[in-house]
Formats: sequence, C-alpha cells, structure tokens
Amino acid sequence: MSKYEYIPEPALVKGNHDFASITKLVTDVNLKPTPKGWYLAMLPANALLLLLLTSIGYLIWEGIGIWGLNNPVGWGWAIINFVWWVGIGHAGTLISAILFLFRQDWRTAINRFAEAMTIFAVMCAGVFPAIHVGRIWAIYWVFPIPNQMAMWPNFNSPLLWDVFAVSTYFTVSLLFWYVGLVPDLATLRDRATDKVRKFAYGLFALGWTGSNRAWWNYEKAYMILAGLATPLVLSVHTIVSFDFAVSMIPGWHTTIFPPYFVAGAIFSGFAMVMTLMLVARKVYGMEDIMTNNHMEKMNIIIMVTGSIVGFAYMMEFFIAWYSGVEYEKAIFLLRATGPYAWAYWIMMFCNVVSPQVFWFKKLRTNVGFTFFISIVVNIGMWFERFVITVTSLSTDYLPSSWDYYSPTTWDVLTYVGTFGLFFTMFLMFLRFLPMVALAEIKAVLPQGDPHNYDDETQEFHPHVEKVPQPKAVKA
Amino acid sequence: MSELTQNTYWKSLNELAQNKEYQNFVDREFPENATELTDGVSRKGFLRVMGASIALAGFAACRRPVQKILPYTKQPEDIIPGIPLYYATSMPFQGSLTGLVIENHEGRPTKIEGNDLHPSSGGNTNAYHQASILEMYDPDRSRGPLRKGERSTTDDFYKFASDYFSDTNKKIAFISEANSSPTFNGLKEEALNKFSGAKWVTYEPFGEDNSIEGNNIAFGRRVRAHYNFLNADVVVSLDDDFLAPVHPNNVEYAKQITSRRKVTSTEDSMNRIYAVENGFTLTGSFADHRKRIKASEIADFANALAATLSTRISGLNRFSTISNKFIDTEFVTALADDLAAHAGRTAVSAGFDQAPEVHAVVAAINSALNNIGTTVNYLAVPHFDNQNNKSAFTDLVSEIASDDYDAVVIIGANPVFTAPSDLDFATAISKASEVFHLSTYVDETGLAASWHLSRTHFLEAWGDGYSFSGARSVIQPQIQPLHDSVSEIEFLGAIVSNGKASGYDLVRETFNSFYARNFENRWLDILHDGIDVTDGFTVSNRPIRSVAPAPSTKVNEIEVVIKADNSIYDGRFANLGWLQELPDPISKITWDNAALLSPATAKTLGIVNNDVLNISVNGTNIQVATWIQPGQADDSITLNVGYGRKGIGRVADISSTSSQLFDSSMTSGGVNVFPIRSTASMLFAQAAITSTGNTYPIASVQDHHSLEDRDMYRQATLKKYQEKPDYASFKAIHKYAVPGMKEAAALGEDQPISLFNEQTATEGEPQWGMAIDLNSCFGCGVCIIACQSENNIPVIGKREVDRGREMHWIRADRYYVGDINDPQAVHQPVPCMHCELAPCEQVCPVAATTHSDDGMNQMIYNRCIGTRYCANNCPFKVRRFNFFNYPKEYLTSGEDPDIIQMAMNPEVTVRFRGVMEKCTYCVQRVNRAKINTKIETGFPKPADGSIQTACQQACPADAIYFGDLTDETSEVVAMKRNERNYLMLEELNVRPRTSYIAKLTNPNPALVKETKMEPAH
Repeated sequence: MSKYEYIPEPALVKGNHDFASITKLVTDVNLKPTPKGWYLAMLPANALLLLLLTSIGYLIWEGIGIWGLNNPVGWGWAIINFVWWVGIGHAGTLISAILFLFRQDWRTAINRFAEAMTIFAVMCAGVFPAIHVGRIWAIYWVFPIPNQMAMWPNFNSPLLWDVFAVSTYFTVSLLFWYVGLVPDLATLRDRATDKVRKFAYGLFALGWTGSNRAWWNYEKAYMILAGLATPLVLSVHTIVSFDFAVSMIPGWHTTIFPPYFVAGAIFSGFAMVMTLMLVARKVYGMEDIMTNNHMEKMNIIIMVTGSIVGFAYMMEFFIAWYSGVEYEKAIFLLRATGPYAWAYWIMMFCNVVSPQVFWFKKLRTNVGFTFFISIVVNIGMWFERFVITVTSLSTDYLPSSWDYYSPTTWDVLTYVGTFGLFFTMFLMFLRFLPMVALAEIKAVLPQGDPHNYDDETQEFHPHVEKVPQPKAVKA
Repeated sequence: MSELTQNTYWKSLNELAQNKEYQNFVDREFPENATELTDGVSRKGFLRVMGASIALAGFAACRRPVQKILPYTKQPEDIIPGIPLYYATSMPFQGSLTGLVIENHEGRPTKIEGNDLHPSSGGNTNAYHQASILEMYDPDRSRGPLRKGERSTTDDFYKFASDYFSDTNKKIAFISEANSSPTFNGLKEEALNKFSGAKWVTYEPFGEDNSIEGNNIAFGRRVRAHYNFLNADVVVSLDDDFLAPVHPNNVEYAKQITSRRKVTSTEDSMNRIYAVENGFTLTGSFADHRKRIKASEIADFANALAATLSTRISGLNRFSTISNKFIDTEFVTALADDLAAHAGRTAVSAGFDQAPEVHAVVAAINSALNNIGTTVNYLAVPHFDNQNNKSAFTDLVSEIASDDYDAVVIIGANPVFTAPSDLDFATAISKASEVFHLSTYVDETGLAASWHLSRTHFLEAWGDGYSFSGARSVIQPQIQPLHDSVSEIEFLGAIVSNGKASGYDLVRETFNSFYARNFENRWLDILHDGIDVTDGFTVSNRPIRSVAPAPSTKVNEIEVVIKADNSIYDGRFANLGWLQELPDPISKITWDNAALLSPATAKTLGIVNNDVLNISVNGTNIQVATWIQPGQADDSITLNVGYGRKGIGRVADISSTSSQLFDSSMTSGGVNVFPIRSTASMLFAQAAITSTGNTYPIASVQDHHSLEDRDMYRQATLKKYQEKPDYASFKAIHKYAVPGMKEAAALGEDQPISLFNEQTATEGEPQWGMAIDLNSCFGCGVCIIACQSENNIPVIGKREVDRGREMHWIRADRYYVGDINDPQAVHQPVPCMHCELAPCEQVCPVAATTHSDDGMNQMIYNRCIGTRYCANNCPFKVRRFNFFNYPKEYLTSGEDPDIIQMAMNPEVTVRFRGVMEKCTYCVQRVNRAKINTKIETGFPKPADGSIQTACQQACPADAIYFGDLTDETSEVVAMKRNERNYLMLEELNVRPRTSYIAKLTNPNPALVKETKMEPAH
C-alpha cells in the first residue's frame, strides 16, 4: 500500500494574524516616521532619475545620433527597453485581474504591490516611444486630435496601435489600482493622527464610509475593472508584438509573436515581482503575508511561462526551416552563429534553461536561489528583445546593408536612468501607500470567512481542517 | 522707436506715414527712394515704394531679423525667378576639357550636367565634374593673393607684375599644369619669347607623360593615343583604369565601352574586356577576365603578350625570344588567340603610370594588330611640349636648387606636395627670390610662395581648350568670381603684357584668329553649343618603328604601388566633402586611404584589417592602416595619394585643431604617401613592411561583401543567355514560381493578392518607373555625387560614416563573387524602389510617407516625427535618417556659411534632424516637367526622355532608365519588357517600380574555368 499523505492547503497568511494585527503591520509602514534605510535607497534612485532626465534632455538637444543607431538598425536599446518594461507590467495586471477572476485568493498578498509595479513599469516603458522619435516636439501628431492639417494619424501602423494600447493599459491599470486602494486609503485616513496625513488620505479616500452599499459598489466596480483589465493582459503585449510581427523583416514577421510575447511578458513580470517582493518583505517584515508559499506558486508560473517561451523558440526555428523561406532560415542560423551569437546564447540560457530548475521543490522554495533566478530571467528577457530587434535589422534581406549595432554610453545611461524613475516611484509607493491590499487580504483570512463565526454568539472559531482518510481497502 | 515698438498696429496709412519714426526708417533704409519721395515722384513709383516700405516697417519691432528681398525693377531678359537657365561650358582637367551644361539659378550655378553635343561628354559626367561645383563654393578656397604670407590684392599683384616682369632679362622657370587652351598656349609662346632665359615645363603628378614618351619611342613623335572602343570587339587594359575619373577621357570611353555591351535580345553581341592589373579597379571589375599581377610585372606581361602574338601575327618579331613567367600561360595564350582572331577590331592600352617602354610595346601591339585607324588613333596634339616633361622637370628643379633662376612661376600645380620626394622641391624653390603660385587653395606650394594668387575657378572664368580627342570649346563663366582671383590666362597675360589682362578679351582674341570672318555669330554659336570644332587634332599617320621589348622591372619582394585616388585624385579634391565621403567603388572606404593588400599577403605578414603598417621605401617611412582587399595582387600593396594634407581646409584635415567641422575625435584625412614617391619609384617600389602594433579605424560603408547565395544580383554568360533568355527570372533562379502567382492566376489577377489596398493608376497621370541595367553599370559612383548635388544631401564626416549613417540616397552595392582571393566584383546601384505596395507607407504612425497618383512613394519631411519604422520595414534599406542636424554642420560651420549654401539646389528642401529622407525619383524635376507639359498640352504627361533623374543624367554608361510606364513607346517600358528584367525580392509582393536588367558576361570559352561566371545565385 502506498504512503498516504494529505497536504493541506497552506495558510494564506502565516502567523497568528487577525484584522487588527494585519492592519497594524501594513499601515504602520505608512504612518510611522520614514526609516533611515528608505532615504538610503531613495538617494541612488533619485540620482538615477536625474540621470534619466539629463539623458533625455541631451537627447532632445542633440538628436538621436547620440545613441548607437544606424542604417539598417533604426531601433536599438530604446525599443528593447520599451518592450521589456511593458512586458514586466503585464504580471501585475495578471495577478490583479486574471487571478481575481479565477478566484485565486493567494493573489491578495501581492496584488497591490504588483499592480503598483505595473503602473510604474508602464510609465518607464512609455518614456521610450516618446523620446526615441526624431522630432519629439511633434509627437502629439500621433494622437487623433482634429487639426488644421486635416490629417489623421495612420491607423494601419502598429506604432499607432501601440499608442492606444499602452495608454489604455496605463489608464485602466491606474483606475483599477486606485479603485482597489480606496478602502485602504480610508483605513489610513482613520488611523492617521497628524493633520496632513489625515487630509491627504482623506482626500483620496473619496469619503469612504465602509457601509454595505459602499462595499457593494466597490465589489461591482472592482469586478468590472478586472474584466476590463483581463483582456488587456493579452492584447497590450500582442499589440506591442505587432510592432515586429506586422513588418516584413525576417525573424519579425511570424504569427507566433502575440502568444510568445504575452507569455514572455508574464514570465519577466513575475520575475520582477519576485525580485521586488523578496527584498521588500524582508525589509518591511512582511514574510507572514508574502509567504514562501506565494513565492513557490509564483515560481511555478515562472517555470510554466518560461517553458512556453522556450517552446516558442523551438517552434520559431522549426517553422523557419519548414517554410523553406531562405531569409527566415538564414536569420535563425545567423542568430545562433552570426555576429550576435553571444546575445542569443545568453538569452537561451537565461530563458530556457534557468526556469527549468523550478521543477525541483527544494529550489523553488529556496529564497536566495529564487531571487537569483528572478534576476537571471529578467536579464534573459532583455536579451530576447535585443536578439529579436537587433539581429533581424542588422542582418536582413540585402547583405550589402548588413551592419553592426552597438549601444553608446547614452543608450546605457538612459536605460539605467529608467530604473531611477521606477525605483523612485516604487519607493514612494512603499512609503506612502499600503503595499498589501488590506481589504482584500482580510477577506481571505479565516477571520474574513463568515462560516467561521458562531451564528449566535458571533464568536470567531478558526476553521479546523478535517483530514480525509482513505477508504479501507478490502483485504 | 517708442511709438513703433509699443504699438505695431496702425489704424490708417496716414497715421503710419505721419509717424516720425517711420520717416526716419524710410530715410535710413531707402535713401534713394527717400529722395525720390521728396522729389515729386510718380504715383506709381510712390505706391511701389510705400507698399514695400510699409510692409517692411511693421517688422522693425518683431524679433525675427529683417531680411529684405526685392523683385527686379529691371528684369533681365530671359530670367524668370525660379526657373533656371542652362549654359554650356567645359571643365579642364589634366589638360583636356569635358563639355558641360550648367544649371544656373538667377546667376548662381547649382548643378553640373553633361553636354550631349560634346564628344567628351555625350550628355554625361564623372564624379569630378559633379563635385567641381562644390569646389567653386568651397569656403576654404583661397580668397585672395598672399604676398609673403600677408593678405594682398590682385591689383597690388598687377602693379608688382608690371614692374617685375618688365625686365626681360629675368631668368624665369615656368612650371605649369597641363593645359590645352589655345589662349594659354599662345601666351606661353609669348612668355618664352619675351624672357630669353626662361624655361617651361609641364608638370603633372599623374599625367600622360609616360604615354606620350612611349608613343615617341614607337612613332618618333610625341602623340596621344585616342581609342575608339565602339569599334573594338576585344579590349585589353594593362593597368589602365580608363573607366575611372582618374582618366581625363573616362566619360567618352565609358560610353563607348558600355554601348558595346548593351544587349536587348539574344541576337546582340558584346565586346570582351580583359584587364591586367595589381589593384582592383573599376575597369577590372567590369572586365570579363581579370588577371591580377604586380604593377612591376606589367612590363613582363606586355612583353609576353607581344611574344605570344608574334607567332600569330607579323610585326612583333623582336619579341619572339622573350622568356618570362607569363609565356605559355593559359591566360596569355587565350588572350593572344582572341586578339589575333579579331585583329583590326581590338584595342590594347596601358595605364598612364606605366613606363614609356610599356606604352611603346602597346603601340607596337596595336600596330601589329592593325588597330590603328579603327580602334585607336594617334593624335598630334599641338600643345604637347617637344621634350620629355618628366626629365625636364627633374632637371629644372635641380637648376632652381642651384640658384640658376630669379623667379619660379607655378601655374595650377602643387609640386611642394606632389613632386617626387627626392627632388626636395620646397628647398629648391627657396633659392629663387620670387616664387609665384596660382592655385585654387592656399596649399603647400602656396604657403611656400612669395606671391600666392587665388585662381579663378573654371565656373567663374573665361577660357578655352580642347577635349581629349580634339574638340574645341570655350569656357564661359557662370557667375562673377566669388573672390579676389585671377584665371590662369589672366595671370599669364599679366606676366606677358605687364598689366591687367581680361580673360574675356584674351579668349575672344584667340577665337577671332580662328574665325576672322563672321566672328560674332560664330562666337555666339560656340557659347551656345559649348563646342566649336571636333577635329582640332590631326591624326598622325607616322608608321610604327621597331619597338624593343620593355625592360623587366619586376620587384621580387613586396612592392608598393602608388596610385592617384578615385575620389580625390592627387589630392586636389581633398577638401571636397562629397568626394571624401564617396566610397571607393571597390573597397568602399571613405575619408581615408589605406594600404590595400590581398588576403594571402595579409596572412603571410600576419596582419589583419586596421593594423597600422610601417612602410619603408629607400629609407623613407610612412605609417598606413591595412585594408584587406580581395582581388588585390599578392605581394603588391596599393597606396592612394592625396591624403594627409594639413591646413588646407576644414574637410581635408579633420585631425587638425583648426578644423571645427564634424567630430574630430575620429581622425581622418589619411596619410600622405608622396614622401615615398621618388623619381626612381614613381609607380612602384620595393618596400619593407612591418606592423607597428597600432590600429587605426577606417570607415567603410559596406561591411558585408558576400551575396550569401541570395538573388539580389543576377548574371549569366552571354552563351547561357542565348540558351535560356529568362535566366534571370524568379522561376529560373529559385525553381518555383513567385509565391501567390498561381492563386492570382486562378482569380484572373496578374499580381499576387495583397491585404493592402492596391492603387489603380489614375487616369491621365503618368506612372513613373525605373530600370537599371546591371550590364552597363561599372560602379563609378557619379550617380551618387549627382544625386547629392541635386538633392542637397549633407556630408556627415568619418565618425558618422563609421557608425553606419551614410546619407547617400542612391548607393552602389559591391559584392564579391567567387574565390575570395580572386573574386569577381559586381556593382549594383540601389535607389528607392518606389514600391507600389510600399511596406514603409503602411507602418508610419503619422502618415508621413504616402503614395502619389503618379506612382511615387513620397516622403513628407514636415510631417515626419522620426520613429524610423519605415526604414526598419524597408527590405531594401534605402531610407536615410538625419540622426543629427547634419546640414547644420555641413552648411553653417566656418565664418561665412553663405558661400557653401549657394551650392544648394533651391528646388529641394534641406532637411532638419529627426526627419527621414530618401530618393524621390527627382520629384522636383518630374513635377517641373509635368507642369510645363500640362501648360503646353493640357495633360501632365511629359514626353519620354524629357525628364532625366540626376543619377540617370550623370551616368556615362546610360545604365539608368527612367520614365512613364503608361507610355508604351518609352525606353523604360522596353527595358522592363526585356526578359532579363527582374525585381529584387519579388516574392515579398511589394511591387517595386525600380527593376534591374541582369548582367551578362562574355568570357572567352578557352578561359571559362578560370573565372567564376556562374549566375550569382
């Protein structure tokens, strides 16, 4: 007879927390004075933000030539960074919206955190399409605003679809995040003692009363916004992938891009959430809420999406060969053996090989190892966009046009500067807003389940798991 | 100004007119009209002045500076502002003229074209002609005379000259560049008569001297070999790059040679070209057979050829005992057989740099083959000196160095820079008490002169001359001289007649002597047509003498070979950005020279690209970077001169701190090679090569040279074409039809279906298309310069070229086919394809690139925001992005940007940074023709041939056909209907309007296995 072991569903919140202690744990971060460490982190973040602003200023002053772009490689680090940041954002929306619709309660520990990351990632992403144009002062022409030229933008162009997709994504994400924040802002308003905090939180709490009707409206709005945000997870990165897929360049023009990009986005997004979460929970002492179990679940998602991405690589290669189109065959061979082979193999190792380690339970529950892999995955995903963008442009149809692209200092500094923007915003979020969705996480505590209360005495009796026993086997 | 600045509006003209400030303004700005105002002027005159003034007065308070323009008050006849006029003139180069027609906007020349009435041009030009417009407008040109380094004036010079040259006992050494001008040569005679102690030497660093001396050996007379390749079935070039602009008659020769290779049906024949050379030249790349041998072995080769011929034809008996490594080789045997079989219809020529004895052998060969009179004529050129100019120059310099002369007069040449190093010209002339130098730039010789005179450019001057074959023309100026300058005839005239001479008068005097009767009418005809008589030189019918074999000059070890540069010649064009940035047709290098060596030699020496070599010749060392050149002869290093100039201009010398143009962080300007050129080693010398261990970056525009088995370039042998006329079709190359054609046929369509809206041709509009004949193009690059001149394309500098941002709208791709050590080099010009289903149009987010009703892909500069998606999506990569404000650097640097801006074509916008640009099928020319035709006929359909794109008009090979595809009788339709016509990347269904006519080679069947003549795919 096999060994029988019943594994109970792990507790979503560890330790002996109740509503009050959760509230205190999370909101104390916002209400107590700023810890010194925060300033220490803010210093480099601000410095990098300043670097970003300088890089952008110099770029606008001198021209795109300060980057390493050329004929034929018209897109380089800027577009790679754009896709990378936007991709990262998708994890937040998936956690917030899709896991909500799938009723995955474990999302509540990280959804606020992840959605904030999404918004800031989309902000960083949005910088690039704006600054990478030659004449940024005319960028408003991409918007369909009636004008004296009687010109609409060109609706056939994927770049224009990007404009709509990314701005919609940002708007919906922001709305969704904000709506979700309202009850928690009210909590802060109520707990705050100083006038400034009371006023500020009060303003943004929109007069939340916590009444039944308020909660009812809240749940409805949340559901609608989740429903709106869900398709965006799939559509936005699909549209971004169309920047490449709709073109004619070998290596770009493939129908696998939409699902492949979306999977890759989720892959890198989860890795980024992981990176941030593992650090923040340690620093702020949130291990009880953002548990190792959450980490393990996220690792599994990383492994699955990583495998989809790996599968997509194989399929691309296979279809290129199967199609017989010489330029497709050539680009895939060139990627692996040509001037950018080094980037290709980094990508392959980081994206295909590394997530496979999470088959092993020991590794996917190991915090240090997870942290390491999450960084590796993001590096790999950056290189994937690099390989796609640069190799296809660098070695395309006419061999006479082939040329090598390398970034200049300004390419690198601009990218590094966006981390400044991201971390400045993120640190501000950590400081001033509850990093856990209090209202939602309370709903998944045992205390939040009405079935755990005695009907008459209204006393709380924690749920006792009944361990099912196997049926006796006839001898 | 208080009232005007506070309130620039006025309620009535009266109010304004009574304004005191306004009155002051009028008085100050229009002094003549102000008095006119008070002088009882006519009402019409008053209103005219008031109207203009009032309009302008309001601007006084605006912040933008006022720039006033006025229309002509007395409009000159024929001038309509905005409509250019065309004038004929000629450009002198290397002692020959090429006839040109200049496009002139309101007295300002902007574009150079060929003169189809002139045999030296036939309507086309070469890169030097196109770039000479930039030379005239070069801000670094000499602005005026320098007397011992101090700024002076030409009037001061005339005063000095009238005094100095009045003493006819002065011993004067004249050193002049080659000049065919009858006026100039007449003055030369007068000068030599006036100064009994004078000596005259014609000095050219890369002139015809050796050829003339060789013909002197052969015929006993100094004559010029002039070829007629129209009659040649077999052409042999022994190190003679006659297709390149380094040859003064390259336009005529190119036209002739390529016309013998134009094939439209399987009945047509082609000539066969053999090239024997050390470096890879244009002629070599165009030849059917190319043999790479050292330059020092050409003499042996010529002897071997003559020897092999001696057994087949008579007249070469003196060569029958020759024995060297070329005797009995397959190549020489086959070549001799071919020549003998086509005797009387062959042409053998040797490069000007080869020794006179080699030229004599070539003359003997031509004579034995009965070529004289059909494919080559030896012309008696009246202005040839009756001396060996090379040795005369050497003698003269040593005499000058021995203090034998009072004055040295140097006309046009730059011997301090270019003279053989062992002569130490600079030290020699320091012995003379006065050195007079006439030159376009304050160059090395100008700095050493006691009197430097600025030379009036040919576009600003009156002059005359003969073309290479003897067609006589007048040079008429297009604009008043920009600077305080004198032309060479005025200069010489001042010396001869002790006073100021007018170029106009001098030239008219010369022609008056030709046409005593009816001079004025004849003069006007000459000015109008740009050509006078075509038979200025008589054909010499001196019989050939017995010519001895040329002495063997073979260098056993590594030789260095010193050649003029394709782009900047002997350095005289070093300050022209267009030519510095024009990629060398074979190596694709810009902005520098390099030591070109073969892959095998590089391997033996253990060096790679960009390694700086120390090249030591007879104790003189220079350091030059390596460039590995497939097809270069082994153990032979080609070095191009003209680089390494210091201080002559901001373009030539970017490393100098005085130059502010472009980014000086990347040194360019190359290395001066002249120090290793001595009288003993003018062409080649043995050299010791070592690596210095340093590297030097070289900017090349094309990094990848292999076609990678792709089908961009398609070729076959003539024989294969005759067997399979559609060898260049997609199906023939790929073995399957264009994808989608079968399905389209089933639907009754003739093109594969597309997701995108297909444009139907608009009724009554022409549909533009272009066909490029790869069988004619030999890669000279004049199309690139012509396009740059016509479309105001900026020069971007070495660092940007190295970054891969070249701005040329049309490029010439060069692929190597075959064995990397001895490949075939093919050229493919690539302008915009103007695709009917353009992938660029679909992806622009702001619709900045659209399709016109007449089939052109348009680029709307002022709508472009610069996302570069269009360039990414172009499979042909023809789009160019302004990464920086290139025109600003190029057009506004220096103290007076106004000069170089005058070279710009006013009909084409100058683009700002951040904006995409590309070939427009010269839409400005197309639209002008459409407008004119519409006015005349009511329909905007110009006649075939009335529009020529700039590239088409410049090309001497007539490789580019452009016209209206709806016109059944047009040339371009005929070319596109040819079975050799193909589209690049046809399977993408973008439907390019620019197509290609596949190349044909005509190899000798006896040699077929030596060269790789398989179709390129």
